[in-house]
Amino acid sequence: MAIRQLPPQTVNRIAAGEVIERPASVVKELVENAIDAGARDVEVVTVNGGLSLIRVTDNGRGMSQDDLALCVERHATSKLADDDLSTISTLGFRGEALPSIGSVAHLSIVTAQQAGSGFEIVVDRGRKEGLKPAASNVGTKVEVRDLFSATPARLKFVKSERSENQAINEIMKRIAMAHPDIAFTVTTGQRTALALPKSGVSGDDLLARLGRIMGKDFLNDAIPVDAATEAATVRGFIGLPTLNRADASQQFLFVNGRPVKDKLLFGSVRAAYGDLLPRGRSPMLALFVDVAPTDVDVNVHPAKVEVRFRDAGRVRGLLISAMRAALGEAGHQASAFGGVKTIDTLASSITPSTANASYAPGTAANGNRPIYPARPMRGGLAEDLQAPFDAVTTPSANADATLDPIPADDMRCPLGAARAQLHETYIVAQTENSVVIVDQHAAHERLVYERMKKALGNGGVTRQGLLIPEIIELDDDDAQALADRSSELAELGLVVEAFGQGAIAVREVPALLGDCDIKGLVQDLADEIRSNGQSFALKDKLEAVCSRMACHGSVRAGRRLTPQEMNALLRDMEATPYSGQCNHGRPTYVELKLTDIERLFGRS
Amino acid sequence: MRLVIERGELLRALGHVTSVVERRTTIPILSNVLLKASGKKLEFKATDLEREVMEEAAADVSASGAITVPAHVLHDIVRKLPDGSQVEIKRDGEKDRVTITSGQSIFALQALPPEDFPDLAAGDLGTTFELKANDLRRLLDKTRFAISTEETRYYLNGIYLHVAGEAKKKMLRAVATDGHRLAQVELDLPKGADGMPGVIVPRKTVHELHRLLEASSGNVSVSVNDSKVRFVAGSVTLVSKLIDGTFPDYARVIPQNNDKELVLEKASFTSAVDRVSTIASERGRAVKLNIAPEKLVLSVNNPEGGSATEEIAVDYDSEALEIGFNARYLLDIAGQMEGEEAHFFLADPGSPTMIRDAGDEAALYVLMPMRV
Repeated sequence: MAIRQLPPQTVNRIAAGEVIERPASVVKELVENAIDAGARDVEVVTVNGGLSLIRVTDNGRGMSQDDLALCVERHATSKLADDDLSTISTLGFRGEALPSIGSVAHLSIVTAQQAGSGFEIVVDRGRKEGLKPAASNVGTKVEVRDLFSATPARLKFVKSERSENQAINEIMKRIAMAHPDIAFTVTTGQRTALALPKSGVSGDDLLARLGRIMGKDFLNDAIPVDAATEAATVRGFIGLPTLNRADASQQFLFVNGRPVKDKLLFGSVRAAYGDLLPRGRSPMLALFVDVAPTDVDVNVHPAKVEVRFRDAGRVRGLLISAMRAALGEAGHQASAFGGVKTIDTLASSITPSTANASYAPGTAANGNRPIYPARPMRGGLAEDLQAPFDAVTTPSANADATLDPIPADDMRCPLGAARAQLHETYIVAQTENSVVIVDQHAAHERLVYERMKKALGNGGVTRQGLLIPEIIELDDDDAQALADRSSELAELGLVVEAFGQGAIAVREVPALLGDCDIKGLVQDLADEIRSNGQSFALKDKLEAVCSRMACHGSVRAGRRLTPQEMNALLRDMEATPYSGQCNHGRPTYVELKLTDIERLFGRS
Repeated sequence: MRLVIERGELLRALGHVTSVVERRTTIPILSNVLLKASGKKLEFKATDLEREVMEEAAADVSASGAITVPAHVLHDIVRKLPDGSQVEIKRDGEKDRVTITSGQSIFALQALPPEDFPDLAAGDLGTTFELKANDLRRLLDKTRFAISTEETRYYLNGIYLHVAGEAKKKMLRAVATDGHRLAQVELDLPKGADGMPGVIVPRKTVHELHRLLEASSGNVSVSVNDSKVRFVAGSVTLVSKLIDGTFPDYARVIPQNNDKELVLEKASFTSAVDRVSTIASERGRAVKLNIAPEKLVLSVNNPEGGSATEEIAVDYDSEALEIGFNARYLLDIAGQMEGEEAHFFLADPGSPTMIRDAGDEAALYVLMPMRV
C-alpha cells in the first residue's frame, strides 16, 4: 500500500487517543482550561459516567468570537505567549484538548466576555458547525455529549459508570486541592460528589480544604510543612505517622499547582517517614512544590501526570528535610485518631438502649474503620487450664501514685502526671484536660532506639574488614551506581569499590551486622538505587539491628514501675522526637480528651 | 524382636546417636532411631539425611529383628531409669508398637517400620587413613570457632580439610574462616592420606564428631571421597555428606611480610581485653590496641556507656601503631592457644594481622582489623 498523509480528522482522533483516555481526562482538560481562564467558580456536571454528558461551567474571562472559532482548531492556544516551552506557567499549553474532544464527541462551547453578548460553536465528531450568537453570562460553558461515539473501539474500553465517576471525582479532588481559592461543585449523575466553597490559599484555609477532601482524620492529625531554598519552595500538610493507610492513594504531590504522580515523591516519603511507619503502611499527605517554570519540564507526558525536574536531587532533598523537620517538631505527638478509636470502642460496648442517641452519630463521624481492631478482652479467650489461687493474685495498680498530691507542673506537661500503672503494662497519666494511657514497653523501646540511632550517628559506624574481599557480580549500571556512591556507603560502614566491568568488591562491612549476607545486601542496595535513585537498605538493616537491641534493652510489659520512673518516662517521651509511635509504627500512647469522656457519659 | 540390655550400655549408645536427630522435622521417621538386634548385639542408627551416626552395644538377643522408635523419647526414658537396671525391648510380631520394660516401669512407644529408614549408602569411599583421635580433635578444636554461620556463603560453613605443604613434608591441614578471621592448624600427614581430595566438612558434622571423639582415646579411621566422609572411632561410625563447593584460596590472605612483631603474655592480655570490653554494649564493638615499644594500651570507647583503658607490658620494638579489633574475635583466638605467649605479626591498621601460639607451632590465626 502506498504511503499517504492521513486526513486531519484521523490525525485528531489519534491525538485524542493520547490526551482523552477516559471521561475523567475530558473533565481534567476542561477544568484546567477554566482555571487558566481565571475562573473563581467551576461547576462540573456529568451524566452516565461522563459518556452521555460532561458539562463544565466557569465564570472566567470568556473568549471573543474569533478566539472561539479558532480554539477548536488543532494546536491553537492562547497560553503559550511567546512560543517558549521552557516558561510554562499555565496548566495547559498544547492546544490539543478541545480539537481532540471535538473529534470524538459532540462538543458545544458557549462563551461570553460581557454578559448577554455571547457566542456558541458546535463541533460534531470532527465536523465544525457555524458560529452563532447565544445568550450567556460572563464565562464559558463547555458541553461534551456522546463521548467516544466516533471511536467505538475506545468506547469498548470504558469501565462501569461507577468507576468512571470515581475517576472523575479523583481528578477533581486533586485539582480542587491545588486551588483552594476556587469554588468547585461536582455533580455526577444525581449525586453532588463535591461542593467546595472558595477559601484562602494558605495555612488553615488550605488545611480546611484538604480536610474536606481527605477526611476529618487528616484535619486532626496534619502537621504543617513549610520550607524553601532558592530553587524551590514546598508547603502543605503531612499526616502524623500513626495516621496511615494501606496504600499511597492518599499522598498528593502538586508541582506548580499541577497534580502529578511521581516516584520522586514516594521515595522521599519513604525516606522521611522511615522507621516511623509499620511495614507496608503509607502516610497521608498533600505537598505543594513551587519551582521556577524554567526548572521543570511539564512537556513529558500527554496528560501531564509526570514532570521532570532540572535538579531532581535538590527537590528530593528539600522534600525529605521539610518532612523530617515537621515530623521531628511534632515530636511525641501520636494520632488523635487513637483516642477517637478508643472512645468509639468504649461507646460500642454500651448497649443501644442506654446509649445516648444524639451522641452515637458524632463518634462515627469519620466513617473510617479503625485500622487496628479492638483486641478482645482476655475473658473472651479460653480459660487457662491451670487455675491460680484466687487469694494471692493481687491487683497491680500501684497505689503509691495516688498518695502523693499531684505536682501541678507535671499536670501542665503534654503527657501529664503519672497516676497509676495498670496490669503492670500501661501507665495512666492525667493532664489538665485529658487522660493519657501509655504502653510502657512500646514507649521505652522507642526511647532506647532513638538513643541508639543517635549514638550510631555520632560515633560513626564501626567497620569490620574482610579477609577475603567479597566480589559481587552485578549489572554494569548497578555496579557503576554503587561505586559512585561509595563514599555515602562508607559512612554507613560498607566499603565498596569498582571491580572491573559489572562487579564490585566489598572490602569492609558494618561490624554491627556481624557475619551477614553481603551479596543479598548489595543486591538490595543496587535494586533500590535503580528504582528510587536512593537507597535505604543498608540504613534499614542497621536500624533493624538497633531496633532488636532496643527491644531487649527496654522496660518490659509486666514490670512494676514506681511513680518516679513513670513520670521520668513521660518527660523523656516529651523530649524525644518520634516517641509517639513504637518501632513498629504503633502508637505508644492514646490521649482521651476529657470532653470525649464526658460525652461517653452524656454529660456534654 | 526381643532383647535385654544393660541400662548403662543402652544410654551410652543412645547418647552417641541421638544428638544428630533434629527435634523438629517434617519427615516423621527422621525423629526416630533405628534399632537392629542380631547375634549378641544391638545396633543403633540415627540420621538427619546429611549425616548418620551408627553405634552398637552388647545385648542378650532372644529374637532378632529391627524397628524404629522416637529417639529423644527413648533417650529420655533410659536416662531416667535407675543405674544398673536391665531393660527389655520387645516388639510383638509385626505390630507398630514397641514395649520397653525395666523393673516396674513399662513404656509402649509408637514405632515406624525399619524399611522406611533412610540410608546414606556410603559404600567404599576410596582413600582411607588412620590418625589419633586426639590429633583429629585438635584440628577441629582450634579451627571450628572461625566457621561462618552465614548460609549464603555455604562454602565457608565448614572446615576445609586437605593435604598441604611440599613433597618432602606433607601436612594434613584444617582451615576455617568466616571472612573476618581465619584459623589454620596442621599435623604430619598420616600414612595413606596422600591421595585424599580437599574436602569441606560441614559445621554440624564437625560438632558431632568433636563430641564423639571426647570419649575416644584410640585411633580414628577416616575414609573420604569427594562427596562423603566416614569417621570410625571404636564402635561409633559417623558418615557425613560434604559441602559441595570450592573453598577460597585462603593462602592469599595469610600475610607473609608482616614484620612488626608483638609478643605478649596471653593470660594478662585475655583478661585485659575481657575487662575493657565490658564497657562496649553492642556486639562488634572494637577494642583499640595502642602499641608502642614495651607497652600496649587497650581501650574501648562507647559514646553511650563511657570508656575504659588498660595498659599491659609487652615485648615490641617496632614503630608505634594503633589498630582496632573485635573484642570477641580476640578472645576467641586467645581461647584456642596453649602456650603462655602469643605472637602478633602486624603490618598496618588496615591489613590482616597474623597471630601465632608459642605453645603450638602448627597453629596460625589471621584476623582482620576493625575501623572506627
